[in-house]
Amino acid sequence: MALPKRIMKETERLVADPAPGITAAPHGDNLRYFDVTIQGPDGSPFQQGVFRLELFLPEEYPMSPPKVRFLTKIYHPNIDKLGRICLDILKDKWSPALQIRTVLLSIQALLSAPNPDDPLATDVAKHYKEDEKDAQRVSREWTEKYASN
Amino acid sequence: MKVHIKHWSAVAQWRWNTGNTAHDQDDEGDVCGICRVPYEGCCPSCKMPGDDCPLIWGECSHVFHMHCLLKWLGTAASKQQCPMDRRAWVTAERKANDPSSTTVS
Repeated sequence: MALPKRIMKETERLVADPAPGITAAPHGDNLRYFDVTIQGPDGSPFQQGVFRLELFLPEEYPMSPPKVRFLTKIYHPNIDKLGRICLDILKDKWSPALQIRTVLLSIQALLSAPNPDDPLATDVAKHYKEDEKDAQRVSREWTEKYASN
Repeated sequence: MKVHIKHWSAVAQWRWNTGNTAHDQDDEGDVCGICRVPYEGCCPSCKMPGDDCPLIWGECSHVFHMHCLLKWLGTAASKQQCPMDRRAWVTAERKANDPSSTTVS
């Protein structure tokens, strides 16, 4: 099936006018599959890190949300071992008015504002709740170990 | 000086009267928030713009291609909410085929 116009427009803009700290490039052989990088936001334990993600637009997009997953290991209460992300707009709060750009900006914001009350990685969330300073130290260590180029 | 008109061509242009003369704040112009095609274009399922691919207005003031919005409302995920503001979707009285809702210039 031909690529919908909306996806072409979004792709063009992502490449020509990328959001700060975010890159997204489609695969040559599958234009619904994107290689994404997100820089860790300044002031967060993920600062200086560059995290790789994969993003896939299902056939139903934009009626269904993109599927996004971290490929780089990250110590974050809302991201599990497999890189799956707990973010409402990727699930029940999806709206077709959202776009790839807004989704990636939301993920970037999630790095600045971990939410241990809605955890996906329960052990990390527990750590964040019990000793935030120490949990952030581990997040920084993982950033240095896995997300530095 | 006399002017002889040898031939002339009529040009007509139309657009939906969305009640929104200014461009949107997001500088994308007047596009459907679902498919991102201009209102005067048609939804991805249609071939021809115009009366066969009309707009739909919500009481929340948001406007979409009717087909795009109905497709969204047809999904369970929509919870019958407007894609822009997540308020319950209520179609406004104004009908897309009401002649007063279109302008011809």
